[in-house]
Amino acid sequence: MLRTRIAFLSRVTALVRKFSNTGYDSELRNAHDELEEDGCSGAMWGSSAGFGNLCKGLPRFNLPTVPDPAAFLRLHTDDRADPSCRIKIQHGTTTLAFRFRGGVIVAVDSRATAGSYIASGTVRKVIEINKFLLGTMAGGAADCQYWETYLGMQCRLYELRNRERISVAAASKYLANLVYSYKGMGLSMGTMICGWDKTGPAVYYVDNDGTRLKGDLFSVGSGSTFAYGVLDQGYHWDLTDSEAQELGRRSIYAAGHRDAFSGNTINLYHIKEDGWKFIGNYDVTKMHYDGPGDIPGATGGGYGYDVRTSSSTVVVP
Amino acid sequence: MANASAYRGTGFDFSNYARNSFLEKKGVPLPKATSTGTTIVGCIFKDGVVLGADTRATEGDIVADKNCEKIHYITENIRCCGAGTAADTEFTTAMISSNMELHSLSTGRIPRVVTAMTMLKQYLFRYQGHVGAALVLGGVDSTGSHLFTIAPHGSADKLPYVTMGSGSLAAMAVFESGWKPNMDRQEALNLVVAAVSAGIFNDLGSGSNVDTCVITKDHTEMLRNYRKPNERVQKENTYKFRRGTTAWTKEKIRELVVDETVVPLPHPVSAGGDAMDTS
Amino acid sequence: MQRQFNPYTENGGTILAIAGADFAVIAGDTRQTEGFNIQTRYAPKVFRLTDKAVLAVNGFAADGNMFVKKVKQRLEWYRHAHAKDMPLRAIARLIQTMLYAQRFFPYYVYNILGGIEDDGSGAVYSFDPVGSYERETCRAAGAAQQLVQPFLDNQIYFKNQVPPPGVAGGHPTHLPLDRVLSIVTDSFTSATERHIEVGDGLELYVVLAKGRSPQGLEGLRAAHVREVTGHTDGERVFVINQELKKD
Repeated sequence: MLRTRIAFLSRVTALVRKFSNTGYDSELRNAHDELEEDGCSGAMWGSSAGFGNLCKGLPRFNLPTVPDPAAFLRLHTDDRADPSCRIKIQHGTTTLAFRFRGGVIVAVDSRATAGSYIASGTVRKVIEINKFLLGTMAGGAADCQYWETYLGMQCRLYELRNRERISVAAASKYLANLVYSYKGMGLSMGTMICGWDKTGPAVYYVDNDGTRLKGDLFSVGSGSTFAYGVLDQGYHWDLTDSEAQELGRRSIYAAGHRDAFSGNTINLYHIKEDGWKFIGNYDVTKMHYDGPGDIPGATGGGYGYDVRTSSSTVVVP
Repeated sequence: MANASAYRGTGFDFSNYARNSFLEKKGVPLPKATSTGTTIVGCIFKDGVVLGADTRATEGDIVADKNCEKIHYITENIRCCGAGTAADTEFTTAMISSNMELHSLSTGRIPRVVTAMTMLKQYLFRYQGHVGAALVLGGVDSTGSHLFTIAPHGSADKLPYVTMGSGSLAAMAVFESGWKPNMDRQEALNLVVAAVSAGIFNDLGSGSNVDTCVITKDHTEMLRNYRKPNERVQKENTYKFRRGTTAWTKEKIRELVVDETVVPLPHPVSAGGDAMDTS
Repeated sequence: MQRQFNPYTENGGTILAIAGADFAVIAGDTRQTEGFNIQTRYAPKVFRLTDKAVLAVNGFAADGNMFVKKVKQRLEWYRHAHAKDMPLRAIARLIQTMLYAQRFFPYYVYNILGGIEDDGSGAVYSFDPVGSYERETCRAAGAAQQLVQPFLDNQIYFKNQVPPPGVAGGHPTHLPLDRVLSIVTDSFTSATERHIEVGDGLELYVVLAKGRSPQGLEGLRAAHVREVTGHTDGERVFVINQELKKD
C-alpha cells in the first residue's frame, strides 16, 4: 500500500516537472523529448500498443511548446466557447446509475453530438472495466474511453499483486487521483464507477475536477435533470430487479425525449454479486410509440405517444 | 394607430442593428447571405464589349445554385456582371436599370455607359461598402465601347479588360497572357470563355457553366450557358421509394368536395299594416 | 486582439467507409484545398496499411500524412516483432492510443479504419481527433459529412424506411458489394455537385476477406481497377480510381 502511495507521489512531482515550462528542467525535458519523440521509445515495440511499459508509470503526453498549453487546447477544441473551432470533441449525454437491494442498475443513452450535429447514435457509453466494474461515459468520449481502459489495466495489476479484486472505492479513487493530477489541463469527464465488492453494491461519481462522491443514485450529463425527475419519484431501496431495470429504462427514455443532446438508444446493465450483466439495448423512438417490448418490468405499450394523443382525439364528421 | 411606415424616411432600416450585434456577441450568428463567390470578366474588342460570368452561387462551402444568372440587364446596350452578395447585386442593378430607363425616356437619347457607371458608384459610395456589390459594367453608346469595374465601396476603373470576384486572379492571368487590341468577335469570345473557365476550374467559389454577352453598336447578344463543361453525371442507382416506405401513426381521409343543401328561410309574415313603408 | 499559435488548417475533402459481410469499402476524394484554392487535384487520403486494413484520414493534411506515416511505422515494427500483420481490432486500439498521446496537442485528423477482422467479417472503425472510437457498419467524415452521412443512414441502415410487408427479417444487415460500390460512387458524385471542396477524383479501396471471389467488382462504369495485395492466399486489396467533376 505504502509503495503505491510513494509511486504516486513521485509521479505527481514528475508531472509538475513535466508541465513547468521554464528553466533548466524544461530544456532537459525538451532535449529528452526530441530523443523520445514517439518514434524510438522501447515501449512502442511489439504489442504493448502504446500504453507503454507499465512499470514506467503513466503514459507520456506531448505538449505544444506554448506558454499556456491548456489555453491552446481550449482555443482549438472547446466548442462551447467558440462554435467555429476546428477540432470538435463529442459531448452531450444522459447516464445514470443507482444502488438498490438487488445490486446496481446502470443505464445510458447512445448519442454523441459535435455542436448541433449528431456525430453518432450508436455510442457505447458503458465501459466494461472488468467483470465486476462498469464505468459510464459523459463529457469527452476519448477521455472516458482511454482512462477507463487504463483503469482496467491498473485494476488487473492490483489483482495480480494482491490476489484479491480491487474495491470499487479504491478503483474510483485511483481514477479520481489520476484526473486530479491533470487538473486544469482540459480533460473532460463525468463518470460513475459502479460495481460489487466485499461491501456489496457501490456507486462512485468521479469527474475531471477531481470530485469523488459515494452515493446511492447519480445521473450525469445534459439530460440528467430529466432523468432525475423520473428516477427520484420511482426510486426506493427495496425495488425488485425488474422494477429497477424498468426505472432505469424509463428515466433515460425521459431524457432522450426531452433533451436534444441525448437519445437514439438505451443500454442497460445490471450488476449483481456475480458481476455485471448486459440486459439490453432499446430504441428510444420505438419505446415512445410501442414500448420496450415484452420484457420483465415493462408495463406494456408505448411510454409516450398514446398517453399524449389518446385524450385529444377530435372526431371530424 | 397611425401607420408608422408612412412617416419613416427612405433607405435602410437599422432598427435591429443593436439587437443583432448583441446577439452576435452572445454567439448567435446572423444568417448567411447567398454570396456569388464568382468569376466575372469583361473585355473590349474591335466592335464592342464581351462580358462573361460563371453560374455558381454559394452559401459558405455549399453550392446554393448551380446555374444562376450573373449578367444583369441595365439597358439594351448596357449590361452588368455582379459579384458579391447576390441580393445586393440583383437589387442594385435592377434599380439602376429602372433609373436608366427613366433617364433615357426623359432625355430621349440612348443612355451612355458612363451614366450607369456614375449612378452605380455614387449609390455604392453612399453605403460605404455595406451594399456588397462588386460589378463589371460594359456597353456600347454614341461615344464608343466602354468597360468598367466598380468595387463595393464605390471606386471605379476604366480598363480594356477586367475581372472581378473570387476567381478574378485566375481569370486575369488568362487575360494578361492572351489579350491583344482589336480582336475580332470570335477571338474575344474565346478569350472570355478561357478566362471564366480558369475561374470555374481553379477557384472553388466559381463553377458550372459559362454565360457570355456580346454587345456591339447596334446589337446585343446574350449567350446564356454558352459553354457547359460541367454537366451532372448519371447516378448509378435510382432512388425511388416503395409506396408505404414512410411510417405513419394514423390514417384519416377527408372529403374535400362537400355536398350542401341550402334551406331558404321562410318569408317574414307581414303582420297586418305594420309592414315598413318603403315608398 | 492577441496573435495566437495556430498550427492547424482545414484541407477539405471527404472520406467514407462501408463494411459488408465479408468485405469493406474505404473511399475518399483526391482534392486538397485551402480556402478557395485547390492545392492539388490528386492527394490520396486513403492508405493501405496491411492486406486487411485500410486507413482513411481527413482534416489537416500535414497532420494526416504524418499520422499515417507513424501508424505504418508501428505496424512494421509489429511485423518485425511477431512475424505477422497486426489484427484489425488491434490496429484500431493502436490508433486510439496514438491519437490520445497527443491529447493536449491533438492531431487535427478524422480517421476511418476499414478492413477485415480475424473472424473474416468486414469492419469499419471511426475515430474522433483525440482517439475515441467505435466499430460501425458505415461512416462518412470530412467536409461533406453532413451531406453524405444522412444518405448512408437511409440507404445502408435503412433509417426512416419501413421494411416491405411479408419480407422475413425486414431490412438486410449487410448489402452486396456491387450495391455498396454504387452507393459510394453516388455519394461522391452528389457531394461533388453541392460541396465546393469535394471533387477531382475518387479513390476507392476494396478489401475482400480471405477466399472471397472478387465478384461485384466487374460492374463498375468507367472505372480503373488495380490489385494492390501484398501477400497471396490471404485477404485481397483493390484500388479503384474514378473521375469526379473538377469545378
